[in-house]
Amino acid sequence: MHRRFRKNSEKKNEKVHRPSRATRLFIVWRKLRKSELAIVGLSIVLFMSMVALLSPIIAPYDPEWRGTARQAPSMEHVLGTDNLGRDMLSLVMHGARISVYVGVASVLIEVAIGVSIGMAAGYFGGIIDEILMRITDVIFTLPTLMMLLLAISMFEVRGIHIIVLMIGALGWPFLARVVRSEYLSLREETYVEAAKSMGATSWRIMVRHILPNILSVIIVLATMDIPWAILYEATLTYLGFGDPMSSSWGVLLQRGYPHMQSAWWIMAFPGMALLITSLGFNLLGDGLRDALDIKVRE
Amino acid sequence: MTLRDYAIRRIIIIVPTFFLITVIIFVLIHLAPGDPTNVMMGPHGGLSQELREAIRIEFGLDQPLYTQYFIWLGKLFRGDLGYSYLTYQPVLDMISLRIPLTLELMLTAEIISIVVAVILGVIAAVKHYSLTDAVCSVGALVGYSTPDFWLALLLILVLSLWFKVFPSSLPSSIGVTFATPFDAFLDHVKHLFLPAVSLVTVWTAYLFRMVRSAMLEVLTQDYITTARAKGLKEWIVIYKHALRNALLPIITYVGNSVGFLLSGAAVIETIFAWPGLGALMVERTTVRDYPALMGLSIVIAIMVLIANLCSDIAYAVVDPRIRYD
Repeated sequence: MHRRFRKNSEKKNEKVHRPSRATRLFIVWRKLRKSELAIVGLSIVLFMSMVALLSPIIAPYDPEWRGTARQAPSMEHVLGTDNLGRDMLSLVMHGARISVYVGVASVLIEVAIGVSIGMAAGYFGGIIDEILMRITDVIFTLPTLMMLLLAISMFEVRGIHIIVLMIGALGWPFLARVVRSEYLSLREETYVEAAKSMGATSWRIMVRHILPNILSVIIVLATMDIPWAILYEATLTYLGFGDPMSSSWGVLLQRGYPHMQSAWWIMAFPGMALLITSLGFNLLGDGLRDALDIKVRE
Repeated sequence: MTLRDYAIRRIIIIVPTFFLITVIIFVLIHLAPGDPTNVMMGPHGGLSQELREAIRIEFGLDQPLYTQYFIWLGKLFRGDLGYSYLTYQPVLDMISLRIPLTLELMLTAEIISIVVAVILGVIAAVKHYSLTDAVCSVGALVGYSTPDFWLALLLILVLSLWFKVFPSSLPSSIGVTFATPFDAFLDHVKHLFLPAVSLVTVWTAYLFRMVRSAMLEVLTQDYITTARAKGLKEWIVIYKHALRNALLPIITYVGNSVGFLLSGAAVIETIFAWPGLGALMVERTTVRDYPALMGLSIVIAIMVLIANLCSDIAYAVVDPRIRYD
């Protein structure tokens, strides 16, 4: 009874001091809308997500369907057919599923690791900070693709989930550094002191009091990392470290390469899809950064 | 702190970093499930149990993990990177054969990126909001989002298959005798062009954006207004006063670029059959040749560490403030 009362009063106070979540979202949206490039980015991202979600319904052919091989783009097959006679448009649409999944899932893993490490390092400081940051620095300086190749070489079975896991497990250092420096400065705020004096645990202060204040930084960095995750997955599958039977854009590119001279479209369109998707996320990331007025400090 | 003290301190920091790198690489490789002797058996199998045991002892695989690590580390310091599981070649020989070509590719890429990014970055910043600025900035956004390996394929398709201007693979033509060494050099440069361009496009776009925003920031500073007020010519203001200061942070980016370009080199070298470190790394990953992979990772890590060290010291040389942090 007592606790509920306190919670309510907390909420009431909050409402007096700052605009509601919906209002804040609306303010961000209004700023975002002003930037044409950000809107283009948002549209691309939404479009690709829709394609990824609906590809089994809206794709004109089944990805397994086979007709005449290497048909040039025509009314019947808008993007032509591949060397096995499958419809390129349908394949590229199904590829979007994989890329969007990779982008979102690996960045979620990355955020989970990066935020935890940055949070602990920045809040506790001292020896914990020293150890965590040394590890972070090392992973940050080593070439990502090299680390990914090393990690992939560990597994005999190669599949999309392993790649997602590895991209997430190796992609967090930059985020961790930024989160750490945010915590370093925010832990000195008076509200942290107030929470401490009321007996809040470190965990509660880190997660409930400080984390909400840096959500916007995390969102922007995560958005900007999605295209990289997608490109790394495509690179790895292009090099042959993915599931060769999937319709990942990297696999499609790898298949198109030997037939480049006779059927350029097999290799052109999956790459175009990659470029457009990554451009979309980059534009949206830039726009969000400006709308949320974030200066990334390290 | 004098520059020498700073440099010495910076070099000392490398030691623990390097040890941490060796631990991470060792652990990553040895987490691998399955017996490495499976790799040596090849796809067809057929190794007897006794032979397998003998190989395990020969490669020290019967020892506990930490003993294996220290043995490996000891050998590392004596310059012994071990033998490939598959070809039984010394790993160091394998790598040293490939280093020059990778260095050449990277150096070319660095030069192209710095020259193009700085020139375009300055122009775009000085002519802020102009058409040139808009075109360069949108171009940089697209370039930054381009998958480098797809760009490589496109360049091969258009410039070497359709128009036959540049060769599509290998560092030089095979089976051709050149009249003069200059012809051979020219042939090599032609082979170098496409890999270098596809490797560097993404990085150039990134660097351009950094130069442009650094220039824009510097141009609003008071000392620029002062320089203009003194009646200096505009190009002196831009090149002597603004650019020099804007280039400071760029030094750090150039240091970071080595790791980034080495990542890109893996796929670009593979596509262009350019026998460098990156292609070797991909090759050895395909066959899971662990000693080769460990050696390669160490060598690449050392290259990155040296690059970062150089850029940090260069920064301290041009910006004395950094030494007092």
